[in-house]
Amino acid sequence: MSRNYIKELLKPFRESKLFEGLSKWLAPSSGGSAGVVRGRENEVPAGRAGSAAYSTGVRRVTLIPGHGIGPEITVAVQKIFEAAKVPIEWDEVDVTAVRGPDGKFGIPQKAIDSVNTNKIGLKGPLMTPVGKGYRSLNLALRKEFDLYANVRPCKSLDGIKTLYDDVDVVTIRENTEGEYSGIEHEIVDGVVQSIKLITEEASKRVAEFAFQFATENNRKKVTAVHKANIMRMSDGLFLRCCRDVATKYPDIKFEERYLDTVCLNMVQDPSKFDVLVMPNLYGDIMSDMCSGLVGGLGLTPSGNIGKNGALFESVHGTAPDIAGKDLANPTALLLSAIMMLRHLQLNEHADRVQNACYEVLREGKALTGDLGGTGKCSDYTNAVISKLN
Amino acid sequence: MAVRLFSKLKVLPEFRNVSFASSAAAPATLSDFDLQHKTPVIRKQKLIPKAHYGGRHAVTMLPGGGIGPECMGYVRDIFKYIGAPVDFEVVDIDPTMDNDDDVQYAITTIKRNGVGLKGNIETKSEAAYVTSRNVALRNELDMYAYILNCKSFPGVPTRHKDIDVVIIRQNTEGEYAMLEHESVNGVIESMKVVTASNSERVARFAFEFAKRNGRKKVTTVHKANIMKLSDGLFLETSRRMAKEYPDIEHNDMIIDNCCMQLVAKPHQFDVMLMTNLYGSIVSNVVCGLLGGAGLLSGRNYGDHYAVFEPGTRNTGTAIAGKNIANPVAMINASIDMLEHLGHFFHADLLKRAVYKTINEDRILTPDVGGTATSTEVVNAIIGNIGL
Repeated sequence: MSRNYIKELLKPFRESKLFEGLSKWLAPSSGGSAGVVRGRENEVPAGRAGSAAYSTGVRRVTLIPGHGIGPEITVAVQKIFEAAKVPIEWDEVDVTAVRGPDGKFGIPQKAIDSVNTNKIGLKGPLMTPVGKGYRSLNLALRKEFDLYANVRPCKSLDGIKTLYDDVDVVTIRENTEGEYSGIEHEIVDGVVQSIKLITEEASKRVAEFAFQFATENNRKKVTAVHKANIMRMSDGLFLRCCRDVATKYPDIKFEERYLDTVCLNMVQDPSKFDVLVMPNLYGDIMSDMCSGLVGGLGLTPSGNIGKNGALFESVHGTAPDIAGKDLANPTALLLSAIMMLRHLQLNEHADRVQNACYEVLREGKALTGDLGGTGKCSDYTNAVISKLN
Repeated sequence: MAVRLFSKLKVLPEFRNVSFASSAAAPATLSDFDLQHKTPVIRKQKLIPKAHYGGRHAVTMLPGGGIGPECMGYVRDIFKYIGAPVDFEVVDIDPTMDNDDDVQYAITTIKRNGVGLKGNIETKSEAAYVTSRNVALRNELDMYAYILNCKSFPGVPTRHKDIDVVIIRQNTEGEYAMLEHESVNGVIESMKVVTASNSERVARFAFEFAKRNGRKKVTTVHKANIMKLSDGLFLETSRRMAKEYPDIEHNDMIIDNCCMQLVAKPHQFDVMLMTNLYGSIVSNVVCGLLGGAGLLSGRNYGDHYAVFEPGTRNTGTAIAGKNIANPVAMINASIDMLEHLGHFFHADLLKRAVYKTINEDRILTPDVGGTATSTEVVNAIIGNIGL
């Protein structure tokens, strides 16, 4: 409700010549058409022109520390960015659920407004309180900001020894519909049905994003993962949308594989895959499996791209048992923040911080407990800062 | 509704002293007449007397497509060599036909024979109203449980060693219900159906299997945090079943966490129980960990019929006819079939020969890191029989 209201308020401004000019100045590379309110046909994901920026070039980013180890790792990332002189200003908000006018608990309005203004967010791990009336906070954020694609690059890290050395896969997962639409009923006593919803619009959107991502990041191949031999109509539609979009990007190789074949091949030879695009459930499972190949959720960055902005997050849990003890591993949040910098096209800063982080992991001296080391979170942070030069 | 109807049947003399946990747990000893008329809530199976003449069994063979026909050829050669008392009744299913006549014929033969050996059947037609032939076969014969016994082969080079996991997967419903429709242009709904009776049957199957085979732990894999009703029902049923088997440890795990654990630490799993789609994913992951699709075999079990097939249901069209397909999966399936039919002598003979070929002689096809052709592997197995 609030988003539409704000959209209505901003419509005259958005359609004015002033905004067009502003957006052209802010992001000359996007062709100047990013600021204009656009129809559905040529939706371009994550208009960077929209992100709030000062005239000095400093970007404002909404920061959601989260619960458990969230605050410590967010502080670690902030310290590292300050030391690296990254032009980011943090706008910290709290998304602890408050009771809304309808009696249900949801995100406070201040947080919603903040992300709508800044358009970019960095989020720590959230915990949804168990109980009636509490909607999943992650789901609420996703719905509110219309985040339709989840990107998870899984790259083998030097210094983290797993059984797989050559993983370099990006999983792009449709985030809004599919098996997770939550539409379930009990038809008769003892028979339950759950509905998987696939729409052409969402499939096209995520396919478009996947190919754009591949182009921008110099990826060679996009693989659509599906199960169209069984779910003929639904996955068939998803596949058709991917095929249609593939024709517009002739430089990028496109292939389609069954989900079981991908699973089979992924655990035998992960180097066969480059970018994977898939509907919600398969994406959830595959992205977690790929992060398992590189060392777990504590080392995997994740970004959610929406029509109106992007939210980067760490996907591990809140780890309440080590919260507050300075034992947390900030690598996942740090890598997500680096992804955010690339999204904002601050590539030099991103490279610097990334190299420092990789150096520390390669050396292996200041690793935290979950990576097999004995260092504290602050030791790790200081090690990364020292490698920043 | 089913429960209310069933309670009214309790007045009948047959049911007075019998209590069933669910309508689906009724004994298979009821006569056809009783089954038809007095127990309307029990799934009706039209039983045909099974074929067993002079100590020899007749088994339906469905070669399917891709590498199926050649592998079936190898199985027939081996069986001829060892003199296994099994006669194969081959039914070819034409993948391009749109009607189901040949599938129906195949189903009738399996009902008559009781046991089948099959490859993966292709369904070339991509039309939405044509059910996948494999799914149709399983549903029609009500083979509700699928077992994949995953044991590491010491002779195959893999990243993980000594894996010993059994995957039990619900085989007929879940995401493979194949009920889809286009409600509005561009919006498609696909239904995932989970029923209490099927969940209970497969959970009971899993726990019985664990008990009879000395397994210690059953893990239910689900996604009940998101699909609260459907996977929630499956999870609840397995938890309830776990209470009836206090010796067997039971825990549950969410599917994404499970996949992550499988690639990092697969040794924590013993028996895994799950719905159809998750079963497909997990069995492919574990087969990948073990060295590929060409080694393991799976068993489809129903109350009356059993069909054996290669574990990951791959057609292998890309390698068909090139003599590099791995015949071990199909041969393992035939060993399972011999054990099911009770021909333990022949099954052991073959098992030892296959074990020796793969683990000691290491004569392997290219997909598991060897250089031999399929025929070389088969000849090696034949050579090792009796040693």
